[in-house]
Amino acid sequence: MKKQFDYVIVGGGVAAATIAKGLLEHKNDTSILILEAGPEIVAKDRRFWWDYITRGERPYTFTYDQKWEADSTGNIDYQTDGVRVKAYGGSTMHWGAWCLRFRPEDFNLFTNTGEGADWPIDYEDLEKYYNDAEAYLSVCGDNDANWIPRSKPYSVPPFQWTAADGEMIEAWEQLDVVYQDGDMDPGTKSKIKSGKMPIARYRKCMTTGTCKYCPIGGRFNAQYVLDDLKGDVRFVNFEVRVNSPVHKVNAESKANMDSVTYTDNLTGEEHTVCGDTVILASGAYNVPKLLRASKSKHWKDGIGNDNDLVGRFVVSHSMLNVVGKAKSNPNGWFQEYDFPTLMSHSYNTKEHQKKGKIFMFKNRTTPNTDIAKLMIEGKTREEIDEIVYGEMTVNIQAFLEEKGKYSNRLESKPGVDRFGLPQTTVHFSRTDEEMKNANDRLKLLEQIIEKMGLEVTSSRVDKPGGHHTTGTARMGTSPENSVTDKYMKVHETNNLYVCSNAAFPTGSAVNPTLTLTAMAFRLVEHLIEKN
Amino acid sequence: MIGGSVCNEKLSAGLIFAEGQHLTHQNKEALWDIFEAIGKNWSNTIYNSNNQRSSWYEMLKAKTENAPNYAGEYVNAIYVLNELYEMYGKEDAFKKLFFESGIDNDAPPTTRLAHCKIYVVNEFIRMQITAGGFKSWGTKNGGEQAKNYHGFLGGTRYNRLSRVRAYEPDTDNLKNDNT
Repeated sequence: MKKQFDYVIVGGGVAAATIAKGLLEHKNDTSILILEAGPEIVAKDRRFWWDYITRGERPYTFTYDQKWEADSTGNIDYQTDGVRVKAYGGSTMHWGAWCLRFRPEDFNLFTNTGEGADWPIDYEDLEKYYNDAEAYLSVCGDNDANWIPRSKPYSVPPFQWTAADGEMIEAWEQLDVVYQDGDMDPGTKSKIKSGKMPIARYRKCMTTGTCKYCPIGGRFNAQYVLDDLKGDVRFVNFEVRVNSPVHKVNAESKANMDSVTYTDNLTGEEHTVCGDTVILASGAYNVPKLLRASKSKHWKDGIGNDNDLVGRFVVSHSMLNVVGKAKSNPNGWFQEYDFPTLMSHSYNTKEHQKKGKIFMFKNRTTPNTDIAKLMIEGKTREEIDEIVYGEMTVNIQAFLEEKGKYSNRLESKPGVDRFGLPQTTVHFSRTDEEMKNANDRLKLLEQIIEKMGLEVTSSRVDKPGGHHTTGTARMGTSPENSVTDKYMKVHETNNLYVCSNAAFPTGSAVNPTLTLTAMAFRLVEHLIEKN
Repeated sequence: MIGGSVCNEKLSAGLIFAEGQHLTHQNKEALWDIFEAIGKNWSNTIYNSNNQRSSWYEMLKAKTENAPNYAGEYVNAIYVLNELYEMYGKEDAFKKLFFESGIDNDAPPTTRLAHCKIYVVNEFIRMQITAGGFKSWGTKNGGEQAKNYHGFLGGTRYNRLSRVRAYEPDTDNLKNDNT
């Protein structure tokens, strides 16, 4: 078994796939080993798909963290169960494929608000890589939208709003919370035009609704990229080992890493493989745990942790959730896609940063009626008609931006999970002010529901969770304020990189995967130039 | 409770073991009757269920040629159907099965009838609704017919025709334009 590689990449998700593809396409004989702790779960399998359709079963859910594997402390429960897929392909096995860019002010949060952190790069530094990422993921979007500065058009046109979106759009217009209104830069009178959700359609999305397990590979899954790389005869030195949890990065000096050590879960054997460059692409949970576990005489408290910052500044998104009910649904409307089609950036602007920006969207599944369930329960056609045209529920949601705090930290707890990775605990609290701000934002969502003529039946701030965790090995300008530098290289090392949401100093109010993919493109260019 | 001694015979709740077992053409035709009866009893298809026949065959193939093998469940369902036909006649047999079975859909199935309902009828219903596109709703009050449903696989990547009932903004609304 080969033991020496140009690059060893820990983790087998979108970041790893993007880096490997970029490096291999630049130089075909580059030797790369990807080590993935989880198993390989087949995608695009018709039997799995039919079981999903007929039984609601998804084949990857067994890899989710269980409660006993990941818990939390603090004044609010941090959702760690059911949020990330530990498998070949990573969480792109189950993601919603929403692909939104961070906005320029997200890179200057501390400068703008005195809270959180600044990125060591600006939006302009990342813009061309966003273009690359959007082309690679085949992101569809509205080229007439101006909610974000962009230098290239989307490669695929957007999905239409569904008829069920109409009433919410009209409510937004009436409330001047218009999907196309809001000052992009306060005082400039430049209006934001947005509204249609950008989604990664990848190769052959046919605009339907089984996104949680796509039978045709239409929604992007990093597994497809890795499969292509493995099957490409040009890339003779590319290898992926699954069921291989890495538990230590080995430093030969303070600056140089020479290898990583992992266990083959199928044989129980431990192996050490050398890499000229080591890249940790295993997510905001595993990166800090692995860094801290990698203790040596050079790094007594773990790599990059001389200032006790690894795992700190956990950032999540709080989900705001307001549900409204109408007495009837005369058009029998339901959200005909299985993803959201309507969004607003009106409160995702610099002027809202201090209080916490929100990114609003109509829930991806409402209004809806589970017709099949009613039939299974023995309801007749007439009874079902009454229900379809009867009471209607609509749900508006928003991600609320949160700011990294020193005391919020993710770390290992004793024991390993079912895949040989250290178990997790997250220490996470919200301040009273954050709770107040969240509740204030809820009132806006409630107004929208009421403007639609609906009765608010539920209004809540959901617990934060691991879906969009960022910040645990954040970038910055020095070891005193961060773990990694502007190229996501761990400070004071020469050849250890983090390509993960862990490196994000802020989490914005939108999903992180597009930004992570753009950062991966940027890292590839840096590595090519460096080597 | 419906059915006789066959329907109410006790079985363990797990999938009936059938590794290596295959369905005959006659088996498939007998099962197709269930699928077709779903469309008739709920009037949820445009004409009948025939346009879903190839998808339905593909599902049967996927469920009987890969583990865990459903062939045992499908054969059991035929036994149940035969008894119900004998007791109630074909048309009423389906009405009993769909609307009066008395089976708890959330409980482990412990009779032949319960196996038939949960592993076969309920799954066929889900398949018919999703693969059928939920197209027979929306028009009651003169509205536009529904086009899609979660799980409906249809359309093309660069479709000109909307795959869903779409919202078109009022173009007279100048607030939508940039100032």
